[in-house]
Amino acid sequence: MSGADERKVGSLRELSPAIEPARDLWPQIEARINAERSITAAAPPRPARARAVPPRWLAAAAVVASVAVGVWIGRSLLPAARPGAQSPINPSRASFVDAPTALDVAYVSDPRYQRDRAALMKTLQARLAALPPPARAKVMASLAAIQGAKQDLQNALGKDPGNALLQELLVNTYQDEMRVLTDVHYAGDAGRGI
Amino acid sequence: MTQAQADDTRVDWEAALVQRACTGDSRAFERLYREHAGRVYGLCLRMTRDVQLAEDCTQETFINAWRALPRFETRSSLSTWLHRIAVNVSLAKRRKASPVGPSLDDEEGTGDALEWTLETPVEVREIEAAIGALPDGARDALVLHALYGYSHGEAAQMLGVAEGTCKAQLHRARKLLRERLHVEVG
Repeated sequence: MSGADERKVGSLRELSPAIEPARDLWPQIEARINAERSITAAAPPRPARARAVPPRWLAAAAVVASVAVGVWIGRSLLPAARPGAQSPINPSRASFVDAPTALDVAYVSDPRYQRDRAALMKTLQARLAALPPPARAKVMASLAAIQGAKQDLQNALGKDPGNALLQELLVNTYQDEMRVLTDVHYAGDAGRGI
Repeated sequence: MTQAQADDTRVDWEAALVQRACTGDSRAFERLYREHAGRVYGLCLRMTRDVQLAEDCTQETFINAWRALPRFETRSSLSTWLHRIAVNVSLAKRRKASPVGPSLDDEEGTGDALEWTLETPVEVREIEAAIGALPDGARDALVLHALYGYSHGEAAQMLGVAEGTCKAQLHRARKLLRERLHVEVG
């Protein structure tokens, strides 16, 4: 407790309105601003922006896209496993849909997202065990691919925190992971394949 | 240099920074952040009572401000403008955390002309704790009016409530502070 806190005052107006945050909040603000600015600046000349992205990150994007496609194929082609999965009252899916914009990397620190993800992770093993082996293998491969993509993108963002495209890809991977986890959850409920 | 001249210089300096920030100069915006972060964070912290949430709200406030800066009229106070954004962000975050809040819409407002003086001096931490323990609505009104110096009307507008409601909340805050601090709040 600081000396300032022990100071006595005779009026509420003597209290200082200002309280300095314990940590510097500017770096994160600046990263968000730069992310938005680079997206805005990059919007018209698409080809130039694409050329500026290292092929490695395009590969990460491809991994994310392929995982998403894999999930979609799994949903579309295999027997219906989730009779209530599209229900608007599904809390995990609802919170996912409600998540902030794709560029909002900070959403991964959203307590709602973290709570939903933790709940899904807690039951993941049991849900996986309830799946038929081919579906289980497919899910595990998807999750491993997502994990790898996340790691690559996080490493890249460590070197270039203001890169909006990397941030967008990272958010996409988090969203894909939630999709897979939610599907596994409801597939496990139904006791059938994904 | 007189105080008035110093204030004018400060405002001019701030207006120049706003103009530069509007053209995309993030260094200028950082200087504005450094100038105002403490008061914005203080407001968010007192409204949310949660360090993490207050940090989020402060960041959100400045990001929203950056986006809306071209629409800011330099004739008005940047500080007030930022506080309005901070109040909106804090209220929204708080609503997300606990959607239902008490309402005093029907009460008669009697919070006029309070100086918020304490009969006997009290330690800052004790007052801050007492303010922190107030119900949301009473605390919001008290912080904006007594600590930040906004009029009833301004505080009410920022909070999106009727002026009478704001006065009622201040009356309630005064009563609760008196009970908690065991001193007369005049």
